[in-house]
Amino acid sequence: MNTQYPVPATGPCGPAPGLAVFPLAGRRGVRAAGEVGLTTRAIWEGVLEQAVREGEDVYYLELSDVTFVDVAGAGALAAAAGQLGDGRRFVVRRPPAALRRTLDLLWPNQTGIEVAPS
Amino acid sequence: MTAALSEPFGPLEPFVHPALFYRDEQEYLDGTVPFVRDGLEAGEPVAVAVPGKNLALIRDALGDAAGDVRLLDMREAGRNPGRIIPGVLRAFADAHPAGRRVRIIGEPIWAGRSDTEYPACVQHEALINAAFRGRTATILCPYDVERLPDHVLTDAYATHPTVIPSGSRTARDSDAYAPGAVVDRYNEPLAPVPYALTFAFDSDSLSHSRHVAVGEAARLGLGGVKLDDLALATAELTTNSVVHGGGSGVLRVWAEDGYVVCEVRDGGRLADVLAGRKPVPRDQRGGRGLLLVNLIADLVRVHRGDDGTTVRCWFAR
Repeated sequence: MNTQYPVPATGPCGPAPGLAVFPLAGRRGVRAAGEVGLTTRAIWEGVLEQAVREGEDVYYLELSDVTFVDVAGAGALAAAAGQLGDGRRFVVRRPPAALRRTLDLLWPNQTGIEVAPS
Repeated sequence: MTAALSEPFGPLEPFVHPALFYRDEQEYLDGTVPFVRDGLEAGEPVAVAVPGKNLALIRDALGDAAGDVRLLDMREAGRNPGRIIPGVLRAFADAHPAGRRVRIIGEPIWAGRSDTEYPACVQHEALINAAFRGRTATILCPYDVERLPDHVLTDAYATHPTVIPSGSRTARDSDAYAPGAVVDRYNEPLAPVPYALTFAFDSDSLSHSRHVAVGEAARLGLGGVKLDDLALATAELTTNSVVHGGGSGVLRVWAEDGYVVCEVRDGGRLADVLAGRKPVPRDQRGGRGLLLVNLIADLVRVHRGDDGTTVRCWFAR
C-alpha cells in the first residue's frame, strides 16, 4: 500500500460526525445537525418514524446544518413520505446537495416531500 | 465463478436482441428507420438512444414521425455503460405495461470509446440479455463495421443472439452467442495505481474516508455537482464494504487524463452480475447504492475476484 500522503492509515480519526436532533420551536418538526450515514442511520430513521406517527399535516425537517445524507438516508425519507398519505408532507428545509441529488435521481415525483431551499 | 456469472443467461424469448452491422449512412438508415416505422405502425412505444450524429440522421429521416419517438443522445445518456440498462433501456420499457412490446435502438459502442471504457461497454451488451430475459422487448444495436475494430465486431456475435450483416435486412442466428463468457472474459483485474492517495477504512472511519476523498478530489480539480457526486459514490462504496464486504476496505483517489478516479476495494464478493443495473421497485428499502453510483459516474468498472471486489469510478473534471 502507498503511504506517501499524510493520511491516517486506519482506525479512529477524531470524533466521527454524529447526528444531533433538536425540536423546532413554534412548529412541528426537528432541526438536525451532522451527517446521515451508516452510523447515524438509526437516529435519522427514528426521527422519521416519529414524524409519521405524530400525524401532523406538515412536518418540518430543518437540515441546514446537515452536511451529508447517504442513499439509505434519502431512502428512509422517501419511505416515510410514502407512508404519510392524505396530503400530509415533509417540508425539507435547506438540505445538503447530496440529498437533493439522490431524491431527484432515485425518487423523482415522490409524494409527501417538499424541498424548500431557504 | 464462471458458473455463477453465467447463470442469469437462459432462454430469452420473447426478448429479441439483434446486432445491426452497417457500413455507411445509407445502411444505417436502411436498418434503423424501417425498424422505427414498423414499431410505430404496430402501436409499439419506440425509443432511439444512439450517438448524437446518428440520432440526427434518424430524426431527419423520420420527419414528423420523430415526434412519436423517444430520442436520446447515447453519448450523454449512456456515457457510463453501467447506466444504460437502468437509466435508458429499463427506464423506457418499464414505463409501459408488461407484455406490450417496446422497441429500442441502442448504440452503446461507437468509434472513440476508449480502451478503459470498452470492457464496461461489452459487458453491458452481454448483460442486456440477462436484464431483458423473458421481457416483451426488441433492442436493436447498431455497429459501425467501417470504424470499429475487428475484436469489437467479434464480441458483438457473442453478445447478440442474432446479427444482421452489413447490407442485409435479415437477422441470422449467431453461433458464437455466449454472453456469460463475455462477462467473465472482460472481468479484468484493476491493478492498484501507484501514485494514488490511499486510505484504509473501516466502520469507525467511514465518514472520514469520504472527507479524505472529497478533499483530494477537490485538490485535483473536481468541483460543483461532480464533487458532490464523488462524495455520494465514495459513501456508497465504502458503506458497502463495511456492511457487505468484510467490514473494511481501501479507498484510492487519483487524477487520470480529464478525470478524477475514485476506487474502493474490499474482501467481499459481488455475486449478482446485475447489481447496480436493475431498477429498484419503489417500495423496496435499500439496494440502491450501486445503482446511484452507475447513474452519477461517467464510467464505472468493476472487478469481481475470488478474493474480493474492486469498484472504480471516473468523474470528468
